Amino acid sequence: MQEMINIFVKSVFIDNMIFAFFLGMCSFLAVSKTVKTSIGLGAAVIFVQIITVPVNYLLLEYVMKPGALSWLGESFKDVDLSFLSFMIYIATIAAMTQLVEMVIEKFSPSLYNSLGIFLPLIAVNCAILGGSLFMEQREYENIGQVLSWGLGSGFGWALAIVSLAAVREKMKYNHIPAPLKGIGITFIVTGLMSLAFMSFMGITL
Amino acid sequence: MNSLRKYIDKNKPLFQKGGKFEKLGSTFGAFETFLFTPNHTAKSGSHIHDVIDLKRTMIVVVLALLPALLFGCWNVGYQNGLAFGIERSLLGHFFFGFWKFLPLFIVSYVVGLGIEFASAQIRGHEVNEGYLVTGILIPLIIPINTPLWMLALAVAFAVIFGKEIFGGTGYNIMNVALIARAFLFFAYPSEMSGDKVWIYGLPDQAAIDGFSGATPLAQLAQGATQNMASMSDLFMGFIPGSIGETSKLAILIGAAILLFTGIASWKIMLSTVIGVLSIGLLCNAFALNEYMAVPAYYHLLIGGFAFGAVFMATDPVTAPHTERGKWIYGFMIGAFVVLIRVFNPAYPEGMMLAILLMNVWSPLIDYFVVQSHIKHRQKRFLVKKNA
Repeated sequence: MQEMINIFVKSVFIDNMIFAFFLGMCSFLAVSKTVKTSIGLGAAVIFVQIITVPVNYLLLEYVMKPGALSWLGESFKDVDLSFLSFMIYIATIAAMTQLVEMVIEKFSPSLYNSLGIFLPLIAVNCAILGGSLFMEQREYENIGQVLSWGLGSGFGWALAIVSLAAVREKMKYNHIPAPLKGIGITFIVTGLMSLAFMSFMGITL
Repeated sequence: MNSLRKYIDKNKPLFQKGGKFEKLGSTFGAFETFLFTPNHTAKSGSHIHDVIDLKRTMIVVVLALLPALLFGCWNVGYQNGLAFGIERSLLGHFFFGFWKFLPLFIVSYVVGLGIEFASAQIRGHEVNEGYLVTGILIPLIIPINTPLWMLALAVAFAVIFGKEIFGGTGYNIMNVALIARAFLFFAYPSEMSGDKVWIYGLPDQAAIDGFSGATPLAQLAQGATQNMASMSDLFMGFIPGSIGETSKLAILIGAAILLFTGIASWKIMLSTVIGVLSIGLLCNAFALNEYMAVPAYYHLLIGGFAFGAVFMATDPVTAPHTERGKWIYGFMIGAFVVLIRVFNPAYPEGMMLAILLMNVWSPLIDYFVVQSHIKHRQKRFLVKKNA
């Protein structure tokens, strides 16, 4: 239990997807114009993340790892399917994204319209694939830890995009030099925000 | 005085539209408003006429900083005397420190105001007084041994990337002085932390036996909870540290000035203290290691907490604008300070990063406070309508 809490706190603050790894920047920069839509996208990412990461973990453990298929029988003991991991991860993520898209379209058409192309693009959001790949690389021990990593990394991403959106809403009336308007100033704000997030670097849990 | 006024009036047309020095108009305007109260008033929209303009606000903050500044100068001399066993009189200590502090101060002002003036000319707006305070804050929150070129670089970074590209004074999202300090802290860590940087002359010369230049924070971070400075030393400020942060008494005088004139928000100051005390007490209750057992009130006296809480957390631009938001903001600053100090071995002090972090979140706090107000009022409206 304590391990799960540690992983959650770590993935939200210390290993934040945006401020520590700069993953998932495209939709982070593009959809962060208003707080409302960014909360929607953040929630969608959290949802996709908490489903895909554990599902991918199970696929890795019971299908792809060297010797993972041994439950099928003695003759499958030496089978190593880990070269398939990228494809399988992406397939899971795409399927989940499709599901989320259908749910949002049904229940919140206004959010569906404001997210536009970025909703299907969650499928290629680096933060989502990154979540599954970090899960593989860090060798989490059980499904609980994987679940808390998925939830934490999604939550950290959502927190980042919502705080950026609030800053950008505040900056709406700023007198920003013309060449930096829009994306330029957003990059600088992101840089300054990750400077502030450096306060968590070095904490060992 | 009269002749000065006449001289300015005579030369004014040169700087106005179509004049010879049209490009330098805002520089001229800055000096004119610095010397005389401007007599032009806003012509459109609704405005409240008030004697307290930006210039006066800034001057009051500068006045509130003076006790900390004067004590800081004296403490530079005093600590130097302690380290090398030199006896000086009270004024001797003060002037020793003053001459060491002055170059930092001048560099900060020249670089910062230079950029401010240049960008005002380029972009054709007025020169704002915001840098008057930032320019004093920056040398007060760095170690006395900071090389001048580093300071110049940090000031340039902070003023350009922290303020000017956001549109100048009043538009920045993070405290400019703290961006300068964070820049120094991450770019030149060896010059910004350690035992040697806080006392003038210590890096080049060996101190007398038994003298350690470590700040109370550094001692705590290294796990030495014995031999700590006494409470009165901590309160009065006879400890090594950044120039302005050591004396809590001088900072309290400044806080009194700010609160009396109503420039700083008492809600933020009070809630930061509450934040530190509550998280400090929580740590004491568990006390898993020696640092967690340090009394909660101790956190109020060590490091830059007091200075940051009075002069930086209360910055009206980067703090939340809603009243309830101020309570949340202050409390979270206090909480993060203790958490970073106690749980993050990488940084002995957490005040700078705690304030920067909450600066990032203050628009978000505002957003949610406003949303909750809207919801609350809608509900009340509906109840009234149905009744």
